[in-house]
This record gives sequence, C-alpha cells and structure tokens, in this order.
Amino acid sequence: MKRSIFQGFFVSLLAVVFAFGFSTSAAAEQIKIGGIMDTTGATSDVGKDYAIGMAEAYKYINENGGVNGKKIKYIWFDYGYRIPEAITKYRLLKRLGCVAIMGWGTGDTEALSPTINKDKIPYISASYSAHLTNPKKSRYNLFFSSDYSTNARACITAWFDKKWPEKPDYGKRAPRFACSYHFAHPYCSAPIKAIKDHARLLGFEVGPDVNVSLFALDTKSQIMALKKFKPDLVWHGNTTMSVSATLRDAYALELGADHIINNWGFDENLPRLAGEAAEGVMGATPCAFYGQNYKNMDKVVETAKKYNPGVPQNKRLIRTIQAWGDALITWEALKRADKAGDLSGHGIMVNGFETMRNFDIGLGASPISFTSTDHRATTGCLVQEWKNGKFQEVERVDIKKRWPDKWEKEWFGW
Amino acid sequence: MELFLMTLVTGLLVGGIYSLVALGWVLIYKCSGVLNLAMGELTLIGAYVTLTFYQMGIPFVLSVLLTLLVGIVLGYMTERIFLDKLIGEPILTVIMLTVGLSFFFKGIIEFLWGTDTRVFTPPIFALKPISIGYLRISPVYLWSFILAIVLLIVFVAFFKYTRWGLSMQATADDETAALSLGVSARFVYAAAWAIAFMSAGVGGALLGNINGVNISVGYLGLLVLPAVVLGGLNSVPGAIVGGIIVGLLENFSGTYLDQYFPGGVKQIMPFAFMAVFLLFRPYGLWGWERIERV
Amino acid sequence: MSSVWLPCGNYHENYVIDQGWWQTRVIKGKMILLLAIVFIGIPLFASEYWVGVATMIGYTAMGAMGVQLLIGYTGLITLGHAAFIAVGAYTSTLLVLQFPWPQFLLDWGLAYPISILIGGLVAGIWSVLFGLPCAKVKGFYLILTTMAAQFITVDFVITQYVSQIGGRGQAFSLPPGTIKIGPWIIDSDVKSYYLMAIMLTLIVIIFANLLRSRPGRAWVAIRDNDIAAEALGINIVWYKLIAFFVAGFMGGLAGAFWVSNTAALSPEHFPWFLSLWLVGVILIGGAGSIHGAIFGSIFMVLIMELLQMAVIPISDYYPQLLINFAYLKDSIFGLAICIFLIYEPNGLAYRWWQIKNYFNLWPFSY
Repeated sequence: MKRSIFQGFFVSLLAVVFAFGFSTSAAAEQIKIGGIMDTTGATSDVGKDYAIGMAEAYKYINENGGVNGKKIKYIWFDYGYRIPEAITKYRLLKRLGCVAIMGWGTGDTEALSPTINKDKIPYISASYSAHLTNPKKSRYNLFFSSDYSTNARACITAWFDKKWPEKPDYGKRAPRFACSYHFAHPYCSAPIKAIKDHARLLGFEVGPDVNVSLFALDTKSQIMALKKFKPDLVWHGNTTMSVSATLRDAYALELGADHIINNWGFDENLPRLAGEAAEGVMGATPCAFYGQNYKNMDKVVETAKKYNPGVPQNKRLIRTIQAWGDALITWEALKRADKAGDLSGHGIMVNGFETMRNFDIGLGASPISFTSTDHRATTGCLVQEWKNGKFQEVERVDIKKRWPDKWEKEWFGW
Repeated sequence: MELFLMTLVTGLLVGGIYSLVALGWVLIYKCSGVLNLAMGELTLIGAYVTLTFYQMGIPFVLSVLLTLLVGIVLGYMTERIFLDKLIGEPILTVIMLTVGLSFFFKGIIEFLWGTDTRVFTPPIFALKPISIGYLRISPVYLWSFILAIVLLIVFVAFFKYTRWGLSMQATADDETAALSLGVSARFVYAAAWAIAFMSAGVGGALLGNINGVNISVGYLGLLVLPAVVLGGLNSVPGAIVGGIIVGLLENFSGTYLDQYFPGGVKQIMPFAFMAVFLLFRPYGLWGWERIERV
Repeated sequence: MSSVWLPCGNYHENYVIDQGWWQTRVIKGKMILLLAIVFIGIPLFASEYWVGVATMIGYTAMGAMGVQLLIGYTGLITLGHAAFIAVGAYTSTLLVLQFPWPQFLLDWGLAYPISILIGGLVAGIWSVLFGLPCAKVKGFYLILTTMAAQFITVDFVITQYVSQIGGRGQAFSLPPGTIKIGPWIIDSDVKSYYLMAIMLTLIVIIFANLLRSRPGRAWVAIRDNDIAAEALGINIVWYKLIAFFVAGFMGGLAGAFWVSNTAALSPEHFPWFLSLWLVGVILIGGAGSIHGAIFGSIFMVLIMELLQMAVIPISDYYPQLLINFAYLKDSIFGLAICIFLIYEPNGLAYRWWQIKNYFNLWPFSY
C-alpha cells in the first residue's frame, strides 16, 4: 500500500518535471545565444572562471540595452571537455534556436567546424587555434584574441629580444629550445609547429618535446629527460595545473631554463600553485589581468561583485576578462547585424563581425579587425612576466610589423 | 649514469607510496574477498580530507591522524551500508558495486572540492631538493617513503602478532570455519575496510604533497591494480614488492621510452607489463593458486 | 531463465513450430507491433530530439550486446569493451576518409557499408588478441587484462598513433556528405536512426540465432561450469576465443555506426567510463538475456536525459548546479548502480520475465 502511494507521488513528480522541461520556450523578442563550457573537465581550472565571466558579461549586456533593445537569453551547458558531449549539446542548442554559440575547447571547436559551417551558426570560441582563422576553411569560427601560434611566436620573440642578451652564453652559441605539452591534446599541440618554425627562424637549436598530461601531478621523469638536452628556454603548452607542476619539478631538479607559457597556463593561479618556482616566468596575455587599470575594467569588476558575490575577488582570474572579450565582440556584431536587419548566422557574420576594423573593447586587448578573407583578430601579443610578486610587461610584440610578408602569406592558418 | 640513478631512486620512493595503497587493497581482498575497484577514490578522499584539515590550521601530522579517524568512520559506514548486503553474491556484482561506489565518491568529492589543483600552503616539505652526492631527492619523496615503510611494518605486525589480525586472516582463508570458531565476520569486514580507507588516505595525503591535490590522484590509485596483480592478490609482501615495481616501471618508461613512443607510455606501461606478465605467471609472484574442484 | 511458459491452450504439432521464434499469435502480434513502432512510429511521430535519444539507446544496446555475450553468456568479465568499439569506429573512419576507393564503389555508395564490415572484423581480431591471455587466467586477472586492453588501445595506440594519421589533430572531422549507404547520405538524425534500427535488428537476429546453435550452448556451458564443460569435450579455449571475436565484431559494428552519428571522432568518445557504463547497463538490465541489454540501455539513457531536462529549469535558481552538473551525474550513476545491485541483482529483465509469466500463466500464476 505504501509503495503505490510512493510510486504515485514519484510519477506525478516526473510529470511536473517533464512539463517544466518542455516549457523552456521563452517569450518573444529574445535573441538566444548558446554556450558550451568546461567547468568540470580537463581544462576546468581555467574553464570555470571563464564560464562565470561569460554569464556575467551577458547579464551586463542585457542591462545596458541588449541588442538595440532586444534581450539576449544566454543558455549554457558544461560538457567537461568530452567532445561527444559537445556535439550533443550543440545539437540541443541548435534545437533551442540559438543564433550564435560561445564555445570553449580546441578539440570540439575544430571537430564541430564543418557542422557549424554547414548550419551557418557563428561559433565564438575560447580556443584561439590558428587553424580556425582561415575563412576559406571555416567561415563561421572566430575569437577576439590573437591566435595561439601568434602568441607563441610573440613569446619566443620577446625572450629572444629581452632575455637572451642578458645570458652569459649570448653570442657564443645558439640558444636551445624545447617544448613541454600534452602531445595528444589538440589545444596543446596547436601552436607547436608554428613555434618551432619561429625558433628556427630566430636561430634556436630545437630539442625533443616532452609529453606532460593536462592532469599531470608528477613530471619528474619528463624533466629528467629534458635535462639531457640542457635547454635555455622551455615552452609550456598546457593549462595552469600541469604547468605549475612542471615548474615545481623543474625547480626541484634544477633544470636551469627560462619558461614561456601559453595564455591558458599563465594566470593569477600560477604563482599560487608554483610558489617560488614561478619567479621570472613569462607568458602570453591576450588582455589585462583581473583588476588591472584599463578601460572598462571597472564595469567587469562591478558586474562580478554584483552577480557572484560568493566568489572572492582575489580568486577571480584573467579568464573572466577573456570571456568578456568574446562576449563584447559578439554584442557589437549582433548590434550591427540587427541594424542592417539580418539576424541570421550569415547576417551576423557578414554585417556584424566582418565589418569590424580596429574595434576597441578596452580591457587591455588589442584592437580587433575581421575581414571576409582573414579572421585573425589582431596582429601581435603582449608578453608579461611574473617578477617580485606581480605581473610586469616584457614586450608587446607586433608580429605583422616585424615580418609583414610572412604574416600575410606563409603564416596564415596554422 | 646520473639519470639512471635518479630514475631508480625516484621510482623506489614513489613505489613506496604505491605499496601503501596496494596494501590496503590486499587487506580488503584477503579479509572479505571483495575486489575493490574504488581504491583510487579512497586515496582521493584521504588527500582532500587531510588538505581540508591542514587548511583549517591544524599541523600536518595531526591532520594525518585525523584523516585516519575519518577513514575508520567512513570505512565502517561504507561497509555497513553497501557491502553487508552483498555477502555471498557473485563476484561481478561486488566488483560493479565498488565501481558504482567509486563514481559516487568521485562525484561527491568533485562537488565538494572542485577539480582545481590545490597545494598544501604553507608547504610542508621544502621545495628545494636534498643533495646526496650528485642525486637530488625531494624531501617529499623521502619522508613519504619513510612513512610508508613505517606503516607497512605496523600493518604486517598487526596481521601476524595480534589476535585481531589473525582472526582477519582466518576469515580470509575460510569464512565458515572462522565463523565456527567464534570470529565475528562483520567485525572483520568492517575492520578491513577501515584499514583500507586509512592506508589509502595516508597514501593520498602523501601523494598529494608531491605536486598538489587534484582528481588525478585518483588515477594514481588505479595504478594500484597492476601492483597487486604483479605481487599476487593474496599476499602482503607481494603488494609491497608490486608497488615498488610499478613505481620503477613508471619512472623508467617515462624517462627512457617517452622519446620513442610519443607521450603516454608512462601511464600504460604498468598495465601492459602486467598483461604480459600474467601470461607467464597467472597468479602473480606470490599469489595463492586456485585449485578448483568440480 | 530462458524458457517462457506458454499460456494454456497452445499446442505445437511439429518440431519446426515448436522451435520457432514466435510461438503464439499473441507473441507474433506483439513483435510485429514493436517492429512497427521502431521502424515507422518513432521516426514519423517523435520530434528530432527524441529520435536522437532513440539512436543513443540503440548505440548503447549494440555495444551492450557484446558485453552481454561475454559476461552474461560466457561468464568472462570484461571491463574493456569500449576499446573494441573504438577500434571499429576508427577503422571505419580511416577507411572512409583515407582509403583510395575505386570510383564505382564510391558511386554506388558502398564505401561506408564495406567499411562497417571491415571495422567489425578488425575489432573482432583485435579482441581475440587481447582474449588470448584469457585461456590462462580467470576471474580477477581476466578483468585486469581487459582493463589493460582498454587503456592500451584507447589511451595509447589510438590516441598517440592512429588519431595522428593524416596530419595533426586528435579529432577526425567527417565532412557532411562522406557517409553514404547506397544512394542515401546519412546526414540527419532521422536517417541515422533508420541505420541504427536496421543494424540493431540484424545484430539481434544474428546474436539470438548464434545463441541457439552449438557455440551458444558451449558458451553457456562454460559459464556454468567450465571444468565440467571441458570434461564433456568442449574445447573451452577455442570457444572463449570465438566469444571474444563475436563480441569484438559486434562492438566494432556499433563503433562504425557511431561514426555516422557524430560530426567528428576522437578518442574521448571511448573512455574507460564507457566500458563501465556498458557493464552497468548489462547489470541493471539483467545479465544473461538479450532483453537485458535492451532494457538496460533504455533505462540508463532515459534516466540521464530526464536528469538533464530536470536540471535546466532548476538551474535558473541554482546556477551552481549547472556548473557542477557533471559531478552530480557521476554520483547519481554510481548510486543507481549500487541501489540496483543491492535491491535488484537480477536486473530489469528478470522483472519483465516475471510479469510476462504472470500473464501467461493466468489464472494459475502465483
């Protein structure tokens, strides 16, 4: 008797849940934007802050006029960096009627690329892989930052310009360079070919790569393998967690090399995790750190305090700013497309993004331009280092200015 | 030569920690016949609990002792709630139950603590290595190894010389006979799980010291399985030797083989080695051979 | 648990009818209705989302068939089946993308079907390779060997070598339009569903018939008492290897099918979690019957979908829930397995069998 009452209750609960679930069709005059984020997976150490930053950015956008008066409904899901889930979530978002999607990882962005191009849905990713910057291969992929390969080239150029002349062996021999990253991961391996090419261009001797998993806690054997080569400079292609482990092991085993880190491995958490091992490391930063004094930063901080008061301010990272970067360019593109009267995917691309010329979003980012033949947003990158307890600028390298014809022709798209 | 010695030393030291976790596994198997696939998550629980206590300001050694207490309680509860019902069920059911438990624990841990790496701040062991000759040994590894060996000696002594240890062994050998002699099987099961939680917990706390605590400490717990298989499922010294072998295999393959097979050999080498080893010695080094009767 | 008691009043007059699949008119009617729903009803009347869910159920069921064969019918516990699905998927993809097919095959759209079969074969052979140790080891050691198979295959061979074939990148992107069967291009959920339904039906037919023949009886004998089976003259090593081959073959077919459902293929589609998921499906559905695999798949996939849908509206109030949803999913999956194993160790198929017999034996059922 008791059991059937319980069953009855359970069934009606399910029915209520079903009803709720199907009634997600929203009110009129709303633009739906989808989000696919990683808050639980391999890159979640940087993904969580990005996800909450993105949600806050869209709340700010709605409070400040939306898209010429229309509100944006931002629907996002976590996919835990499992590519099959990304594909499922993409289908769900498409079914819910999203006109654009804020994406995350390189693996799934590149995997979904043929599909989003067929469906003509702009995909603004957190992956800055250079493979996505060629509109001929992928018209609908973009992001606000300089791509990974440009960042990598900028880092190694900055070290070569500023740090190598201070070394005792400068002028006597070629500097030695090695890469440490997760081989099989598309995000980590994206800029490797470019950075090695650039290293050879600058005259480095390139050594063997070492494989460090994104989840690695113990990298001593990889450091010992590196020690045989005695590099002067090591590139780190992973996110903060594993980069900090590698830095600690390099320090403990006295590797004696300088370190340059890709932008997803270089944030406020790194000195916290790596301690004294992080002294003097350099990294690529597409925009300012959280709270640094740049245009529009006050709006970001204010919105963050308002909508996520539970997350302490000193735990917020540059990732929030990166999220705002992608959100702000999407907002601008939507506004422009809406003024031109065409809010379809194609319209947003042609009348929105690809009309941007040196659009400035503040936040320490470089001005952004997209054309129909080139989706590389900016031409260089700011390289910073962690020294004496704070982040300091090393050099703002403009790759296009220094190697103009290589930028135009050879280096496009990889 | 230097590289070889360093790899050897690192492998031995890490292997000591694996041995500790492997010991817990063998205990559960010996006493209750349960093949526990949730060992990784038990290690994780220990690591996070110690971290939480430490961040509340309690000194490290005391945190570890408190973790032991928490381990006893959790072990007892797990055994009572989940495993009691499965006494006598076929082996697959029990294994899948531990798999289910492992997901459950993992989900709870991730929910409570997130997947970010956390480090013990202020650091317990200095980051700078101790130099012995031309070898650099991190203090973390050294102390973990010493602690692991101490605990191993304590456990082995427990099994051989105390009444409780002997009754646990008796239950593992033949449950019905032990029951007929007055050994409480329920007590033995609960004690086995409690000890496993404790050893895994301490192992986790030590592993977490190396470079921070995050979810992949759980994957290290999975490495325990080749260790126990290599040493033999029923054998305590086998677990110790197996753990050390796995530590050595991991480090040697990482240092020497990584260049030939691009990346990833380190993680799977223990499994591959184990698969091949089983072809020659199906019961591991010291495992009891099963004599089946039709 | 295999026999179904017939209702009173059913008599068979010759052996052929007695051994038939559908023994009474009621069963015939039920099965035809089921086939109608599967092939006609769902694609026409369900929304595209539910067709996608049904395809997912079918995929899980196909994968689970192989595991059911090994665990439920032969008693070989395997925790590495995702590896063989992966082998099938990758073989099929590589053949479709890289193999220089003669033009007439491409025109007739035979490239993909042939690659499905070859994918299955390669997966079967790979499975036998890892099944070779099974002749010597038993019980837990076998479990670990299959786990080793999983890690070695997916994490090492595929991730490092196979997925790098053809240039950089871990994910193979399949441009829309490459997957053709005959004149039909598989590029939408509905077409994928039809492919799934056809493949699943074929697999079930083949599997069920295999179970009624000599290998099937040998497998059950090995499961129940392998020493006795050997004493009776069954070559257990040979039949175990055949079991691994067939299970691998079915897994390979499932993997090759999966390729048509996703836009891209990467090793992350086949983690160890998938192997455990399939074993969980079998246990919840009931080990030892084909129904078990299908019921288990339906149950598990639907529960996950319901959870997902239930979370969407709640997450407006508790955004933390959305961020940590994957964790909840994991823990609920674990808890579900534990609860099922404690309270329903024989699975859903056993309940179904009880219900069926209740009606069959009425009014004498008790």
